[in-house]
Amino acid sequence: MAIVRPENMDFTKQTFSAIIYGSPGMGKTTLALSAPSPILIDFDHGVSRVSAKHRVPTIMCSTYEEVLADVDSPDMKEFETIVIDTGGSFVSFLKDWATRTKKDAKTQKGTVNTLKVYGHVKTEFAAFTEKITKVMNKNVIYVFHSQEQADKDGNTVQRLMCEGAARNTVWNGCDFGGYLQMVNNQRTICFTPTDEFFAKGTHGINGNRPIPTLDGARPNDFMTRLFEEARQSIISEKAESEKLMAQYEDTMDMVRTCVENVVDIETANMAVESIQNFEHALTSRTESLALLKAKTDSLGIKYSKAAGGYIAKDGGQ
Amino acid sequence: MRLKITKTLLESWAYTFNCAEGYEDEAYADFLSTLNREPSEPNEAMQNGLDFEDDVYRVARCDPNIRNPKWESGIEQVARIIRGAQIQVPAGRELELDGVTYWVYGILDALKAGVIYDVKFLTKSMGGVDLYGKYLHCSQHPAYFYIVPEAREFQYLVSDGDSLYIETYRREDTPHICEIIRPFIESITEQGLLDVYREKWAVP
Repeated sequence: MAIVRPENMDFTKQTFSAIIYGSPGMGKTTLALSAPSPILIDFDHGVSRVSAKHRVPTIMCSTYEEVLADVDSPDMKEFETIVIDTGGSFVSFLKDWATRTKKDAKTQKGTVNTLKVYGHVKTEFAAFTEKITKVMNKNVIYVFHSQEQADKDGNTVQRLMCEGAARNTVWNGCDFGGYLQMVNNQRTICFTPTDEFFAKGTHGINGNRPIPTLDGARPNDFMTRLFEEARQSIISEKAESEKLMAQYEDTMDMVRTCVENVVDIETANMAVESIQNFEHALTSRTESLALLKAKTDSLGIKYSKAAGGYIAKDGGQ
Repeated sequence: MRLKITKTLLESWAYTFNCAEGYEDEAYADFLSTLNREPSEPNEAMQNGLDFEDDVYRVARCDPNIRNPKWESGIEQVARIIRGAQIQVPAGRELELDGVTYWVYGILDALKAGVIYDVKFLTKSMGGVDLYGKYLHCSQHPAYFYIVPEAREFQYLVSDGDSLYIETYRREDTPHICEIIRPFIESITEQGLLDVYREKWAVP
């Protein structure tokens, strides 16, 4: 039985997808490894830069095929979070994989068909992320280096260091994306976009979050606590959002029936009155009026404020 | 009397400040044309956008007969998101600001369950540009959030005909439209264009 009613949905095991980016040396990898039960995919060969006490089991790889084999192994079961470090290096691995394995990656002259390669990279990047989050039901954190660019007025803007469309599409499924920086000598991650950097927040995670300094006593658990905060936010919003959604669906069902029954001026007048009296939720009122307008347009009638109801237009009816 | 205000007008004004270097005169001429409500033919990029949107709406309405199969992947991805939504919804709402009544008006590309969707088409490949944050200062989501006060989220659905990029804004993170209209009015007043606006954009 795969149908779960909203009141029975369980968000206590909700997983998340996140992006952490920032300058080299800011501690992005260590921060990402503060997620629950992590495994690191070290595309960047940078695990040696993580303090020994914060290191975690790591997939050290030289090809994408090796990563796939490890990800598919039973050993993965114990991990809750997969950290991809860095997203930019992952794209480089995918380029290598596509060039070696895809028939259309080479032209007839034997040169690399860049367009085709990037097409495969984009598709595989999305498929890999989908597999981790939807099939394996694990958290995923993409770590990216940032690179400074100047906008047309010379202001500094921070960008993900990554080639191809992945640097845009990686944001689509991500729940939070934060830029890591020093603010007043305090390491801080910001989940709200600014002129200088893009960011993304949801489920109550937004704004600047200071990152605690890791001394001997403090556990590396920032992302674990962040995920838990988001999870609690989802659970607390659950009752209200379910009620609104159920009301919205009920109202829209009634509206569709009501509009289907409109055949002339009289029934249109009855429909507009009924729609006003329905109990509306979310955007059902605006959607209802749009649905009714489409129907009355097709019948050649229109609403007249002066007449206080529908009238024929352009000789219709 | 009310003064109509649209995202097209606000965006064409904003573009006079944000345009690439060397395009200032062209941007200003475009803004004057918009302000004067001069009819204009869509250029090639605009026409591509219109053609893409037409196909998206067609597929969203379960009509498989698309006219631009070269964009099929992008069309399918966007249509899948807006399927079941009300499409091309005209909507407006009065706004009282500094003693003036404005009629904030727009056509929502799609509206479904508290989410407003806007379809954007890129003429160049998504792989060559950084899109994230592109719409942070766009007047469209503040305007549409004002027009549809029940909407909670606004999603820009950006496609190059192949890939899809989604940029989401929530109401609580969005400035009120007043914060955009007020500087617009101050700016056109300074430029001596307020009377043109009052004359051309007055609606009953």
